[in-house]
Amino acid sequence: MENKIKQLRKGILELAILGCLYHESHYGYSLVKTLSGEGDITLTEGTIYPILSRLAKEGLIRSEWIESQQGPPRKYYSLTAEGKNTFEVLNGEFKKLTELIVDVKKEPGKKGQEKERKKILVKKEREDDK
Amino acid sequence: MTNNFSPSVEKIVNDYLKRLKLHLKGFPEKDKEELVREVYSHIYESFVTDSTGDEIDRILNVLNKLGEPTEVVSSRMSTAMVSMGKQRKLPLYILAGVTIALFGVPLGIGGFAFLFGILITVVALIFSYYITAFSLVVGGWLGLIASIIKIADPAILDRYDIETMTFFSDPTLSGIVGIIVSIICAALGFFMFWLGKYMMRGIRFLFSLPMEKVKEARERRRLKMVRSKYD
Repeated sequence: MENKIKQLRKGILELAILGCLYHESHYGYSLVKTLSGEGDITLTEGTIYPILSRLAKEGLIRSEWIESQQGPPRKYYSLTAEGKNTFEVLNGEFKKLTELIVDVKKEPGKKGQEKERKKILVKKEREDDK
Repeated sequence: MTNNFSPSVEKIVNDYLKRLKLHLKGFPEKDKEELVREVYSHIYESFVTDSTGDEIDRILNVLNKLGEPTEVVSSRMSTAMVSMGKQRKLPLYILAGVTIALFGVPLGIGGFAFLFGILITVVALIFSYYITAFSLVVGGWLGLIASIIKIADPAILDRYDIETMTFFSDPTLSGIVGIIVSIICAALGFFMFWLGKYMMRGIRFLFSLPMEKVKEARERRRLKMVRSKYD
């Protein structure tokens, strides 16, 4: 189960990173903080860097070193126009998928209703036959 | 690096970055430096934010949350695939395997002999496979040439006392059959070479798997040692 959760997270992480950068630019650590939220999700922080470098290579994000008021400079990431486009498309697709999962949850109820409807129909037909 | 940490914390951070650099071998120098700088920045930000406990606990906690260098460089499984793509030489793996068997794994002489035996077997298998493929190709080409000569002028072969496969009494028909057999031989040889590429990839992959595990175990042991040193 642990492994399954990891896999699922990894797939969605890329989309989540694009989503975070869609609204504002982030440096690595602030991105991690935003992603993990109120600590509901434990994230191995380092895993974002391979993803960030891949996204940069694909031209979806750009980066820039900016001096920090305290400590070493930070590398800020932001979406390119292509990145924004990609996020919108992926996000739409993701929403469709989540709706699908919700539907799967509802399914038993629907099926039950349909069965009952069929039963009623059969009963009616029998009555009609009589 | 700029001096933002106390000496002991700085030491731990530098140790981590050194290990990170080891995992970045083969990357372009510029990318390497940039990622190291970025991870340093990450460590700093994380260290500053967390203010519970003493310094050493904090920095170890920060590095723990960041994950091992293998995770910063690439996600778990894909590292094996990446190094495969980079065309690492098989001999290097064998050498590394023997070295680890000698110094890294506490198996003793018996274990070493066992591993060495397996390695020798694998090498011998690969060697004989390629020799077979090579001789099929060479044999195929030579047979082809001989068959063509046989059709053109059977007397030449007789003059040099070269015996060729004689399937039929008619030299032309025999030559044609010879050509077909030769081409099949050569094609089989080439096919074996082509197949060998995948076999090597598979073997390389098999070798890289245990090595990843050994590497991970070493990293873990190292971190534990660092931890016990500062506790």
